[in-house]
Amino acid sequence: MDWEAVGLTARLAAVTTVLLMLLAIPLARWLASGGGWPRAMVQALVGLPLVLPPTVLGFYLLVDLGPLTPVGRGLIWVLGHPLAFSFSGLVVGSMLYSLPFAVQPMVAGFASVDRRLGETASMLGKSPERIFRDITYPLARRSVLTAAVLAFTHTVGEFGVVLMLGGNIPGATRTMSIALYDQVQDGRYSEANRTALVLLLVAFAALALLYGRQDRKGRELV
Amino acid sequence: MWTGPRLDVSFRHRIGGLDLEIEFSLTRPWTVLFAPSGAGKSTVLRVIAGLERPQWGRIVSRVEGKTEVLMDSDARVFVPAWRRQVRLVAQQAALLPHWNVARNVLYGIKPLDMMIVKPSDSAGFKMRLVREVLALCRVPELEAKMPSELSGGERQRVALAQCLAAQDGRALLLDEPFSALDAGLRDEMMTDLKAWPIENKTPVLHVTHDVGEVFRSGAEVIRMEGGRVVAQGEASVVLADERERLLRQLETR
Repeated sequence: MDWEAVGLTARLAAVTTVLLMLLAIPLARWLASGGGWPRAMVQALVGLPLVLPPTVLGFYLLVDLGPLTPVGRGLIWVLGHPLAFSFSGLVVGSMLYSLPFAVQPMVAGFASVDRRLGETASMLGKSPERIFRDITYPLARRSVLTAAVLAFTHTVGEFGVVLMLGGNIPGATRTMSIALYDQVQDGRYSEANRTALVLLLVAFAALALLYGRQDRKGRELV
Repeated sequence: MWTGPRLDVSFRHRIGGLDLEIEFSLTRPWTVLFAPSGAGKSTVLRVIAGLERPQWGRIVSRVEGKTEVLMDSDARVFVPAWRRQVRLVAQQAALLPHWNVARNVLYGIKPLDMMIVKPSDSAGFKMRLVREVLALCRVPELEAKMPSELSGGERQRVALAQCLAAQDGRALLLDEPFSALDAGLRDEMMTDLKAWPIENKTPVLHVTHDVGEVFRSGAEVIRMEGGRVVAQGEASVVLADERERLLRQLETR
C-alpha cells in the first residue's frame, strides 16, 4: 500500500472540502434565492464539471494558471511557485471539479425551504443573514451534509484533473487514484487490488452514511 | 385623538389581471379595510409590508412629527420588508417549524426590550410575555407545542401573538384574523385587542370581507371595490347599503 498516497489523498479531500464549502454555501444561497438569466448562467458554469471530461478542465487550468498568463504569473508571485504540479494546484483543480457536487444539493435544499418562513421572520425585523442562519440553514442542514460528503468523496476519487494538473509526484501530487493507475501499469496487481478496495470502501461508507441518516420517508433522523 | 404613528399609503399595482389603485391614510388606532373576497386585500397588505413591490407607490410613516418614507417610486426609495417595522399577520401564517410556540413568539423581541429586566429575571419575563400574548390571542397553554401540532387557525393566532410580542411597530396589518374563530370567541378577542394599539402606540389595519365583523369592530372603515378605495369613514355610512342588504336577507328568511 502506498501510504504516502493515502495520506495525500485524505489531506487533499479535507482541504478541498473545507475551502469548497466556504465558497459553495454563499453561492448556493444566491442561486436558490431567485431566477433569471444571470443565475442560469452561473448555474450552467457550476455544472460544467459534471459533463466535461476532467482532462478538459485539467488542461485549461494547466494552461491558464501556468506562467504564460497574467493570472498564472500573479499566482506565482503570491505562492512563489507555479500552481501546476503542486499541492495547492491540486486543491484549486479539485475545488472546481467537485463544485457542482457541493453546490447542487444545497441549491435544492435551500430552495425547498418555504419562502413564507422568511416572510414571517422579516415581519419580525430579521435581516436576510439572520433568516439564513435561523431558518434556511437549520432546515436545510441535511443538504449541507450531503454536499460536504459528496465533495469529499468525489475529490478522493478524481483522476483526470489531478493527472493533468498535478502530474505524478510522490508525496506532492500522487493521489490514490494515480497510484492505482501506476500499480496497474507496472503489473503490481495485488497492490492495485488493495488500493482499489480502499477507494471503493470509502465511497461506499460515505454513501451509506448519507442514506443512513434518513428513514424510509426521507426524513432526517438525527 | 390618536397620537401614535400614521401611515399614508398610495400605490398602483397590477397583479393577476387585477388593477389596484389604492390611496388611503391610517390616522386612528384601529381601521378596517373592507372588500369582497378576491378584491386584492391581501395584496394591499403585502405592498404596505414590503413583501410585494408595486409598479408605482409612495408609502410614508409619520411618527411624532417625523416623516419616514418606506417607499417612493419617484425617489427610488424602497425600504426592505425587514426594516419597515410594519408587521403583517398573513392568513396562511407560517411558523418556524423547528421551534416550539414559545420560541416562535419570542423570536421578534429585541434584546433592547430585555435590558430593562434584570438578567436573573429574564426567563421569567419571557415566560410571562409569552403567556400574556397567547392568552390575548385566545391560544393559551400552547407554548410547548410544535407548529405541526396546531390547526391552521391556531397557527394564525400564534403568528399574531408573535407580532404583538415584537412591539414597537409602525403598523400591524391583520389579514382576516378572526376567520377561523366562532362568533363568541371572535367578539371577545376583538374587544381585548382593541386596547392593544393604544397601549402600544401602533395602528392596526384589519382586513375583512365580513360586514358583521366591521360593525362589531366599531372602527373606521375603508371600503375597496374593483381595485379602488371607494369610501372611508364610519361603518354606518360607508356600509349602509351592505347593512340594508343583510337585513333584507334576514327578513326574507
